[in-house]
Amino acid sequence: MKFFNLLQKELKELINAQMIMGFVLVMVLFFVLSSVMTDTISEAVKQEYNITISDQDDTEFTRNMLSELEKDGNHIRRIDTEGDDYAAFLKDNDLKGLVIIPKGFTESIESSDKPEIISIISMKSASMMSNLNTENSGTIEVLRKYISDSYSENLGISDDDIEFMEKPVTITEKTVVNDRWADVSASSVTGRIMLQSAILPIIIFILIIMTSQMLVNAIATEKIDKTLETLLSAPVSRTAIIGAKMLAAAIVAMLQAVVYTVGFSTLMAKSMFSVSGDMMSNMETMSDEVTNAMSEATGSLMSVSEGMTRLGLSLSIADYLLVGVQLFLTILICLSVSIMLGALVNDSKSSQTIMLPLMMAAMIPYFISLFADVNSMPMALRVLIYAIPFTHTFTAMPNLMFGHNGVFWFGIIYQLLFFLVCMFFALKLFNSDKILTVSLNFGQKSKLRKNQKQYTDE
Amino acid sequence: MEKVLEVKGLSKQYAKVLAADKVSFDISPGEIFALIGPNGAGKTTTIRMISTLLTPTDGDAIVAGYSIKKDPAKVRESITYLPDEAGAYKTMTGIGYLKFMAGLFTSDPKQMNEYIERAKSINGLGERLNDKIGSYSRGMIRKLLLSRAVMNRPKLAILDEPTSGLDVLNAIEIRKTIKRLAAEEKMSFLLSSHNMLEIEFVSDRVGIIAKGHLLVTGATAELKERYNAENLEEVFERVVKDNEIL
Repeated sequence: MKFFNLLQKELKELINAQMIMGFVLVMVLFFVLSSVMTDTISEAVKQEYNITISDQDDTEFTRNMLSELEKDGNHIRRIDTEGDDYAAFLKDNDLKGLVIIPKGFTESIESSDKPEIISIISMKSASMMSNLNTENSGTIEVLRKYISDSYSENLGISDDDIEFMEKPVTITEKTVVNDRWADVSASSVTGRIMLQSAILPIIIFILIIMTSQMLVNAIATEKIDKTLETLLSAPVSRTAIIGAKMLAAAIVAMLQAVVYTVGFSTLMAKSMFSVSGDMMSNMETMSDEVTNAMSEATGSLMSVSEGMTRLGLSLSIADYLLVGVQLFLTILICLSVSIMLGALVNDSKSSQTIMLPLMMAAMIPYFISLFADVNSMPMALRVLIYAIPFTHTFTAMPNLMFGHNGVFWFGIIYQLLFFLVCMFFALKLFNSDKILTVSLNFGQKSKLRKNQKQYTDE
Repeated sequence: MEKVLEVKGLSKQYAKVLAADKVSFDISPGEIFALIGPNGAGKTTTIRMISTLLTPTDGDAIVAGYSIKKDPAKVRESITYLPDEAGAYKTMTGIGYLKFMAGLFTSDPKQMNEYIERAKSINGLGERLNDKIGSYSRGMIRKLLLSRAVMNRPKLAILDEPTSGLDVLNAIEIRKTIKRLAAEEKMSFLLSSHNMLEIEFVSDRVGIIAKGHLLVTGATAELKERYNAENLEEVFERVVKDNEIL
């Protein structure tokens, strides 16, 4: 009953307007991000066949070639240009891209020289999405086809011959994981895993930081506002007080994890779906080759999940439960470390600084898990990185996928031991005088010594 | 009559400072006892040891028959403690705070209500109890905390600097409440203050403490007579001079 009273108070303090505002902000951020992504991609996809061409050669061949382009349902805008002031061409006509058929184009074709087509793209930033301008490449692809068709007609070569020459070998890709293999390419498996597990590390990172910050603040605020002494002198055990604080932080952390996971994955799914939807609708206006290539791509993408199951890369329910257990241990570690950190805080400034070690301990494995494989690092470095308990949380899923079960179980045991040791010291600290006397003053004199000095001076 | 508090040679050694050195005194039921001395004299350390917040390095104190060393949990059931410059949870309402604190002292809803009603009548905050504590003035917070400290009629209420930082009117009101509860309800109080003139009005007996040593205890009038002094401040000056402490 008394514990419930404490828990209720802690929960009320954590679940406040600020936190709900934070939730709403994160959701809005997800929403804006996903719609920006969707818009940029669909715009890029839609623009594909809105073509601007400057036909400097202007012969019967080029005119026929362009009208062929128009037959496919593409809208062609023709402009006149002269010289090589490419920047001015784009600026004057307010264009993002332009294809120029230069003078002497037809002549080159007739003399069987390689003709030239100039493609100009305006670059405004280095961001991946903003340069997704397939306008020119699409146009050039169609022009190339037209030209090679006209060559083959002149030389009397069939389409099949061309296809054979273009692809003289069939490459069948197989991927091997441990002792299993499947008919999928390694790159498509990597792509799929990246897509699947992009969310988890972010959630883990947010959870570690949020949980720790919550508990550090909960303890630090009690110390700063001097409510802790009142609480400790009440007829409740210190273990109950700290237990209520930990449980409340854990409950709120879990709540956050659920909200973020649901929000993140639905919005990811939404943006992925709308992009592929746009692509599908655009396919109708595209030429056959493009459509074929597209469906080929989707076809192979679909077989990736099959391939992954065959490779043993799909996680079973038991695996997900294990990842869940590890996530729980991670939160417990955060909580026990936070008790100690919170106890060191005596003013609001240091409650921010004190988070630094935890931030680093979460950040290092987070970035490493994004860019590198810890298991293939040199021994010394691997030991160092696995010594950070949170590393095991970030590597849990890939370790289970690729059958590094030994490393995974070592991680669980290590985390459990780490938690027990931290909890032991946290409880010891909280049950001793130190909870009231210890402080990190960052170079300042402790209050006690200051008072003592003042007293001696008097 | 059995003492509410018996302090027997209580000492606290910090890493470099001996904050309390063999402090001994006692408090009878219905008595207001005040520890007086300058900042850093060891008042708060002594009080924190009696409140079971700090463990003494030597000596013991018996609160309502229970040792602070052997039975700290029982001691906490017999006392309430109001720390120096204490705050309350800013996001709670006054009434919410009283409910929360009452819930720590009892699990019986009927008794909890009694406590809250009593606190309400003592602090006189009325409708303002429904507002967030964050909007309270210092005087209001102090009244709220004092009413909390006495709402369950503890055997001993320990108040560290109960009026520090308050304006004269608020300070007088707090002092009156303490005096009334001791006189009418036979509650015992252990106070601390560095304001010796003020404490003269409220306490029955005082203990003068400096540099961790409790130099002398006695009734205010008796001490003034013994040291031939006008007020407690002069008593303090002479006691310190006699003991060559400063």
